[in-house]
Amino acid sequence: MLAPKKFKHRKQHKGRIHGNAKGGSSLAFGAYGLKALTPNRVTARQIEAARRAITRHLRRQGKVWIRIFPDVPVTSKPLEVRQGKGKGSPEYWAARVKPGRIMFELDGCSPEMAREALALAAMKLPVKTKFVSRVGMDQEAA
Amino acid sequence: MSKNYAMTAVARDRAGKGIARALRREGRIPAVIYGDSKEPLNISLISNDANVEYNRGQMFTTLCDLDVDGDKHLVLARDVQLHPVTDNVLHIDFLRVTPKTKIVVDVPVQLINEDQSPGLEEKGILNVVRYTVELRCSATAIPDYIEADLAGKEQGDSVNISDAKLPEGVTPVIDDRDFTLATIMTPRKLEELEPVEGEEGAEGEEGAEGEGAEGAEGEGAEGGEGEKAEGGDE
Repeated sequence: MLAPKKFKHRKQHKGRIHGNAKGGSSLAFGAYGLKALTPNRVTARQIEAARRAITRHLRRQGKVWIRIFPDVPVTSKPLEVRQGKGKGSPEYWAARVKPGRIMFELDGCSPEMAREALALAAMKLPVKTKFVSRVGMDQEAA
Repeated sequence: MSKNYAMTAVARDRAGKGIARALRREGRIPAVIYGDSKEPLNISLISNDANVEYNRGQMFTTLCDLDVDGDKHLVLARDVQLHPVTDNVLHIDFLRVTPKTKIVVDVPVQLINEDQSPGLEEKGILNVVRYTVELRCSATAIPDYIEADLAGKEQGDSVNISDAKLPEGVTPVIDDRDFTLATIMTPRKLEELEPVEGEEGAEGEEGAEGEGAEGAEGEGAEGGEGEKAEGGDE
């Protein structure tokens, strides 16, 4: 699973996700991509599940790029513990995803295969998504 | 060089985000025409026309006969701003061109004869390094695309700019090296892939091999920690 190698602070504020993506909203590497349409925190485990769904569907033939990185530590308190007594311990890492962000990119496969693979990946993610491709590539495929 | 496309526009006297937003609410988009040593001209276009033309995929390599309140302008789209979520066109920059204009333009690369490449026949992966190539050419003779031939390419081979057929009068901007357009990569773990393809039931067991094994270990370790924490609270 993805996680930072080192970090400055163990715990962060929760924060809120406002607005749309300012960058990373167009395809940079592959021919096809999966774009987020709603904001949410995507955990490292969800990213890994989505990546695994893609590679399994492509039978490890295409090339996959992950355009988000889980760099936000999320804490939680243990079960059956009263409120107070400080912040909980870090449990997992998450990426803050804004609408418009390209999360995964694909190349080296047919558009139909890419669409299917990214649909499977989308099922593992907590955000609404849409399939995107380079301008003019969908028409060529059709 | 494909045929010019035509669009109609209306000149606008005001600039800024207020009028730009007002135009977008009315189904139009702001745009600007500049170049040819003349004053820039602020215009607005019908949003739908601009989106259709952009999604055709040849906007940056095809000239446009733009009709602004009856005045004809020969222009080339140089930049398009898109909405990050909807991918609708928000603004377009047009450059005035003449037959004498020399420009640098990004031209799409089309890879042909994929079925004649032994490397791709043997399940190699086509890794496109450059989807577009910067070319220097006359504004009225921009190629729609450049073709690069994959015939006879094995796994590990690459297709370079020297393999592409460039029309006369067209030169690549990068001329100091023979840069790569695409490579044919060997698929990862080809030996392991074959048994997976052979039997359907093997998919479920995939987690036990390679990258899957790391994830399985990680999950197991975290689960253990969680249990300890719960136990400690009681």
